[in-house]
Amino acid sequence: MSVMRLFGWAGLAAIGPLVAWLTPSLLTQSLVAQATFLAIFALGVGLLLRQNGTVSFGHAAFFGLPGYMLGALLPLKLMPVELLICAAVLLTAGAAFVIGLVIVRVHGIAFGMLTLAVGQAVYEAATRMRGITGGNDGLSLRLPPHLFGLSLKTFQQPGGMLIVSWLVMVAVLALVSVLGASRLGVLTEAIRDNEERVRFLGYRTLLPRAAMFAISAAVTAVGGVLFSLYNAFISPDTVHWTASGSALIMAILGGSGAFWGPVAGAFVYFFVKDLLSGYTTHWLSIIGMALIVTTVAFPAGLAGLLPWMRKLIESRRGEDPVASS
Amino acid sequence: MPALEVKNVTKFYGGFAALNGVNLQVEPGEIRALIGPNGAGKSTLIDVISGRARKWTGQVHLFDRNISRLRASQRRLIGLSRSFQRTSIFPNLTVRAQLRLAAQRVGGGDADSLLEEFGLATLADSTGGAIAYGDQRRLDLALALIGRPSVLLLDEPAAGLTFEESKLLAQRLRSLAQRWNVTVLLVEHDMEVVFSIADKITVLQLGAVLAEGSADEIRRDRSVVEAYLGSAA
Amino acid sequence: MAIQLLNGLVYGALLFTVASGLALMFGLRRIVNFAHGSLYMLGAYIGYSASAVLGFWGGLIAAAICLALVGLLLDTVVFRPLQRRDPLTTLLVTFGLALIAEDLVLTIWGKDTLSFAAPSALAADWSLFGTSFPAYRVAMIGFGAIAALGLLLWLRLSRVGLFVRAASQDPVIAAVQGINTDRVSALVVAISASLAGVSGVVAAPLLSLAPNMAGDILVDSFIVVVVGGLGSIGGAFVTAIVLGQINVLGVVFMPELTSLLPFLLMIAVLVWKPAGLAGERV
Repeated sequence: MSVMRLFGWAGLAAIGPLVAWLTPSLLTQSLVAQATFLAIFALGVGLLLRQNGTVSFGHAAFFGLPGYMLGALLPLKLMPVELLICAAVLLTAGAAFVIGLVIVRVHGIAFGMLTLAVGQAVYEAATRMRGITGGNDGLSLRLPPHLFGLSLKTFQQPGGMLIVSWLVMVAVLALVSVLGASRLGVLTEAIRDNEERVRFLGYRTLLPRAAMFAISAAVTAVGGVLFSLYNAFISPDTVHWTASGSALIMAILGGSGAFWGPVAGAFVYFFVKDLLSGYTTHWLSIIGMALIVTTVAFPAGLAGLLPWMRKLIESRRGEDPVASS
Repeated sequence: MPALEVKNVTKFYGGFAALNGVNLQVEPGEIRALIGPNGAGKSTLIDVISGRARKWTGQVHLFDRNISRLRASQRRLIGLSRSFQRTSIFPNLTVRAQLRLAAQRVGGGDADSLLEEFGLATLADSTGGAIAYGDQRRLDLALALIGRPSVLLLDEPAAGLTFEESKLLAQRLRSLAQRWNVTVLLVEHDMEVVFSIADKITVLQLGAVLAEGSADEIRRDRSVVEAYLGSAA
Repeated sequence: MAIQLLNGLVYGALLFTVASGLALMFGLRRIVNFAHGSLYMLGAYIGYSASAVLGFWGGLIAAAICLALVGLLLDTVVFRPLQRRDPLTTLLVTFGLALIAEDLVLTIWGKDTLSFAAPSALAADWSLFGTSFPAYRVAMIGFGAIAALGLLLWLRLSRVGLFVRAASQDPVIAAVQGINTDRVSALVVAISASLAGVSGVVAAPLLSLAPNMAGDILVDSFIVVVVGGLGSIGGAFVTAIVLGQINVLGVVFMPELTSLLPFLLMIAVLVWKPAGLAGERV
């Protein structure tokens, strides 16, 4: 990786702490922190969309599952909380892998319906199994006073969590970027484009797709962990399909073509929502229309805006059409 | 022992027998052309041999090994490769990335030498969807040839190519088959290509073998001419 | 026990009438309409407001007509222009429309749950199998039965029904035969929307009106359509009835597991046979 790129990543990572330091407003800090949770959530959805070419209407299940695991297992004091957190993410990914082995065989719209079913099944379980999940009342997370060497307060105060989650987000972004260029990344993209030919090149196609599904679940789960730590609370709303739908919208608005697209989408979604809610109550209509316009007219989303503008400028600046041919 | 052997293969689509007891043997290093009128079952036979078709009876052997139960990906790994009638490449990956993907699985050198070998070096960084049709066909073929398969199935490789391109293709195939000692089973409608490179020709009609022999024998065979009835044989 | 079965039939009947429209739309245009629950919801709310002036039956008719028009609009403005695109595009657009519809309802009628009285003719309880059972619920089952019969007869006996079945099997061939698939499609979507809207009105006395009613019925409808065989009305019918029974009986016997059952069933069917149980027949 070139020095320029390293500086770029470092600069990106620095934005979080910078914002935390420069913004006295706790509210703004809290908003940015929450936006990063959603950004990581959307990253997972976008990853699946880009690498496997499939839409998930149920990813909120993976966002909320770690929180539920923590809520249920923390009181049992089975292991240090740090390990428990890692285990929660890994278990969620593992569950996603098993589910993936079954459902990635199905293509197109049917896959979307399956993810909806999976997500809603988790939602139903969350509301019905009151003994474990607290049902509609939700579950509090009884967190210890120290985590990963930091005081719990760091994770539950806007400023502290902003820095933590921002850094985590940048780290996840870097990993996703590396994944895209990796062998698995290229393989899954090839499968997405032409699964049959990939098989005729000698590859098995089920395992890579299931693995990618699991990785996308893991990414989303990381966001879910941060969310749960911050709020110390989890409820069925977090895993409802409307939450999945919002994340999907963020990924589409931002554009899944670029690995950073969903992050941009999440931030725009979150802050425009916050901004507009002061002026209008019609947030749902606005987001609905934004989704429609993006899907129909700008499928590449925000991430596609830059290349599009560049092309526009280049064609306007216009070489002499005769001379350039 | 034959490189490729098809034993009594039958495939039904509903009540219609696309293949009806087909027997075929191709010797190692041979270039065999499979010709016949439309609907004869040529592509279906290629699909059966390559592992693309399901629900058929009979056996397929690769150098004495019964591969009838193997998946398509497994068949590729043991040296049985195919190209496609309708170009099957990856529109969103660069040419280099596609070749590399193929090479990583079956071995066969690094991407750059492959680009040279298949005359795709200038297109290395273009995406599959952005290159010309003739180049796409070559890429399709290249993907099938990576890793020096022992048996190569080609489904109408000259389809859509110009006269010049077809000639070039025929030359390349001939030279490649000799250099690598590849056994080739080639489905083709383009008789120029067939007559210029085939060692032996099998004629298929209505799912069964009608005739088999050298180019001259086939040209003189009355039943073949009748089967084509007005085609360019 | 018989009462439980009847209760199951009530929900099953409702589910069928809503899901059948979804099945028709998928069969004809391969569209997964995420806004279908919204059509159900809009029908209920329009019926609610109209009934204040026109009575229950007037409200019912108003909902039927309004939603038929909405369906027509939907097919003309959304489905037809997008039919050449990836089906995912239509899915996402209908998702966007569902959000807009929810906002519309929230704006006009607010977010509180509204109650809707059954018509006085059916407000009594009937004595069935030894216990009393609300007459209105019997009427709901009747409504579902009539809708099912009507759809079946229409598809099997009418010319348009034949066209719908033909176009569902193979849209290209049907078009070549001279069937104006666009007009058939507009009719089918209008009927589907109208049916969904009327279902909303029918359900309102039982389930009340709330802006989240769209989502709840939508997910169950998807299950019915998917398990029943995307496009198959017969399959949807059987699945809806079964699902209704599972819902009701399950609450009694195994509440925690049975809520998962429909989803597990859907997953199992889709994986085993991606085209659903009844294949692609209508």
